[in-house]
Amino acid sequence: MLDKEKCGRKTDEELVALTLKNQDFFACLIERYEPKLMRYIRRISSATQEDAEDLLQEIFIKVYRHLNDFDGRLKFSSWIYRIAHNQVISQWRKTKSRPLVLKFEADEDFLKFIATDEDLALDTERKFTGEEVRKALEDLDDKYKEVLVLKFLEGKDYKEISDILQRPLGTVATLINRAKKQFQKISAQKGIKF
Amino acid sequence: MKKLCDRVLEKIKEENISPRPQWAFLVKDCFIWSAFVVSVIVGSLAFCVVLAVSLNNDWDIYERLGRTPFQHIIFSLPYLWIILLILFFWLAYFNYKHTKHGYRYHTFTVLGLSVISSIVLGSIFHTTGIGTRIDRFLDQSYSQFKMLNCCQIHEDVWNQPERGLLGGKIKEVIDQKDFRLEDFSGIVWIVREDDGTIEFEPVRVVKGEEVKIIGKKEDENVFWAKEIRPWDRKGIGREIKFREEE
Repeated sequence: MLDKEKCGRKTDEELVALTLKNQDFFACLIERYEPKLMRYIRRISSATQEDAEDLLQEIFIKVYRHLNDFDGRLKFSSWIYRIAHNQVISQWRKTKSRPLVLKFEADEDFLKFIATDEDLALDTERKFTGEEVRKALEDLDDKYKEVLVLKFLEGKDYKEISDILQRPLGTVATLINRAKKQFQKISAQKGIKF
Repeated sequence: MKKLCDRVLEKIKEENISPRPQWAFLVKDCFIWSAFVVSVIVGSLAFCVVLAVSLNNDWDIYERLGRTPFQHIIFSLPYLWIILLILFFWLAYFNYKHTKHGYRYHTFTVLGLSVISSIVLGSIFHTTGIGTRIDRFLDQSYSQFKMLNCCQIHEDVWNQPERGLLGGKIKEVIDQKDFRLEDFSGIVWIVREDDGTIEFEPVRVVKGEEVKIIGKKEDENVFWAKEIRPWDRKGIGREIKFREEE
């Protein structure tokens, strides 16, 4: 059995190299990314917990199969998020049983991001509720929701979002700016005061 | 219930799943890059033919055809090659976007680069005369190609002696001023030149040469030549005072 202590000190890239020699090391990568990816899947799809777990299992299998395709010039996290993103989209296209609805859990982290974002010019002293923000976010166009999930909920920078969504950096920046503007507009219409 | 991690590892072991070999991904990358290079080259060839056809087109005969310059442009453009050119611009863009880092560049950047590279490479190809050769080969080998490529058939345009346009093959050189020409409907004409006749390089008035002539129908099957041009290109005009004996 693998000594989990050993995993903790290794970088993702080192673990990829080790997994290619000994598949047991893959457990380290799974354990490292399982909670993050589970949260991400649930945020960008309307999958139930069981469906999300099945999807996640497929994602990890796909990651394992494609380990030799991992490009060291990318961050491993960007690469694994990209696979997750593509798998969610592909699953949604296959079944189309449920709409691809992005869910925003307006948790503390997200509210903190929203409140301190310079472009939104909001007060750091919060005067809004999570529920209000969630309602405003629900009305955003889908194309804006996903970049916001990655930016504010997953805490990814522009470069990482560009690598995950496979869109040019400039496009990502534009999408985020437009998303913020639309968010401000919707908030104003809904009378949400920040 | 088993942990996800255990389930994944169990499945990997049970189904004997292993990482795909690195060469498989390399082959895929090479294939995409090759498709990109081929698209750029074919796009360049298409551009080269468009350039050759455009440069060789007789843009100055629109009045004789009773057309406005705009109508003449519309009738003369090589549409099939233009469609192929656009198709291969797009294919080059599509293939580049599917390379590993192709997504990092904006559509306009990639499309712009594919257009510029096809234009630059196509212009280099043009200097070798390959565009004219491709167009001539397809024109001669596939009769349907003529109709697909453009709205007008070259032979029909130059088979209008009443409008002063005559094309065909030289059957016989009679003397320094006259020769016999068989037009595309099989009629044999006597073509007369005079001191004012201009022959366009690289035309040669010799038996078997295909030419197109701008002039005037003088009599039944007699045509006065003002300009004699090579059949498949526009050529460069020069005044002929006398013809060298063969």
